Amino acid sequence: MSIVQFKNVTKEFGSIKVLTNVDLEIHKGEVVVLIGPSGSGKSTLLRCINSLERINGGDLIVDGISVHDGKNKVRLIRQEAGMVFQQFNLFPQLTALQNVACGPRWVRRLQRREAEELARDLLKKVGLLERADHFPAELSGGQQQRVAIARALAVKPKIMLFDEPTSALDPELRHEVLRVMQSLAEEGMTMVVVTHEIGFARKVGTRLIFMEGGKISVDGDPKVLLDNPENPRLKDFLQHVH
Amino acid sequence: MELDWSVVATALPELLAGARITIVIALIGLFGGSAVGALAGLCRVYGGIILNAIAFVYVEVIRGTPMLVQVMFIYFALPLLVDIRIDPFLAAVIAVVINSGAYIAEIFRSALLSINKGLSEAGLALGMPGWKVLTNVVGPLALRRVLAPLGNQFIVSIKDTSLFIVIGVAELTRAGQEIMATNFRAVEIWSAVAVLYLIMTGVLSFLLRVTEKRMRVL
Repeated sequence: MSIVQFKNVTKEFGSIKVLTNVDLEIHKGEVVVLIGPSGSGKSTLLRCINSLERINGGDLIVDGISVHDGKNKVRLIRQEAGMVFQQFNLFPQLTALQNVACGPRWVRRLQRREAEELARDLLKKVGLLERADHFPAELSGGQQQRVAIARALAVKPKIMLFDEPTSALDPELRHEVLRVMQSLAEEGMTMVVVTHEIGFARKVGTRLIFMEGGKISVDGDPKVLLDNPENPRLKDFLQHVH
Repeated sequence: MELDWSVVATALPELLAGARITIVIALIGLFGGSAVGALAGLCRVYGGIILNAIAFVYVEVIRGTPMLVQVMFIYFALPLLVDIRIDPFLAAVIAVVINSGAYIAEIFRSALLSINKGLSEAGLALGMPGWKVLTNVVGPLALRRVLAPLGNQFIVSIKDTSLFIVIGVAELTRAGQEIMATNFRAVEIWSAVAVLYLIMTGVLSFLLRVTEKRMRVL
């Protein structure tokens, strides 16, 4: 069953075409890894899914709702599509616990106590329960990103979007974030991940998409594609990221 | 020349009465000015074309003209234009509201724009409506950044109330001027007036420092 459907989607920034006639169907339970050179449109494609970027042409349907259905419907899409950012973007005035609890409280309208109980469960899941009362500035990058994952999960999304979640992290902190993402995938969460972590794509990904110039140029099984990239530009790209 | 500081003691009740009026004008004026400024600042950032343009013109006109001219206009010209009587005290309060509002609008605008865009995106991505992102995420952070420049503007506005001498409001500077006219003790009286202003601004800046310390600026 498809949860995200791009139908002939185009996206322009001024006169620059960032996505050109993209057709893509993402199914429940898939872990789609998006790779490609910078400027190829992979982050934009991800951000279109939860309407942080508005598409200029075509249609995009998320969990049965079109991004053209108006403000209120777009908010529903965003509740179903959790997002994790490269720069974490935790709310600095709130503790880790409050960051995770704010979605349930402000969006799902849970009582404070229920929201904080849920937040504690999620912090435990990402291994940060003992850091619940710390402010973001008191946490390492890897810890902040794990809190950000918990915050996105707290709204109970059906799909998780990751926009280069480990790119701002030191190499030794990446694995703790990747491990959380892997366990999420193992639980059956549908995920779309923009990343340069080829190891993650091979180990966790169920589908690999290579983008260039605003188009999807390769789409297939990560293990097959990574072991034997037939597309010469994908082959070239992989040699540079390895 | 010989100084006679006892004249200050004699004049003190009148000076304090003037200081009281200064404080009342500044208090009401800055309260109104903060409200007007916050609103105009919000319009500049989130207002859409029309509200943004109105706020922009307001800020530019007020910032671009001397406060003295604004006071004269409100007190002498406005009654001719719209056929109403404005008493000096009201004119003074309106002048502070309008004048400080324009500067405070810029303070709010820059504070709102200084908040990392990623934070509002994070709020929106959770499914929060735009107004909730403003009240729960961007607003609380911007308020912390508003504090220091807002305090600065408050101090400027307190001192600017001395301009109301020209429309005959019995504020502190006017009180000093009137006492001076009867006893010609310029050094003593203007020193006393200056000290009273210093006390008012000093108390305000102390309160601001305390508030800033209690609020973690992020």
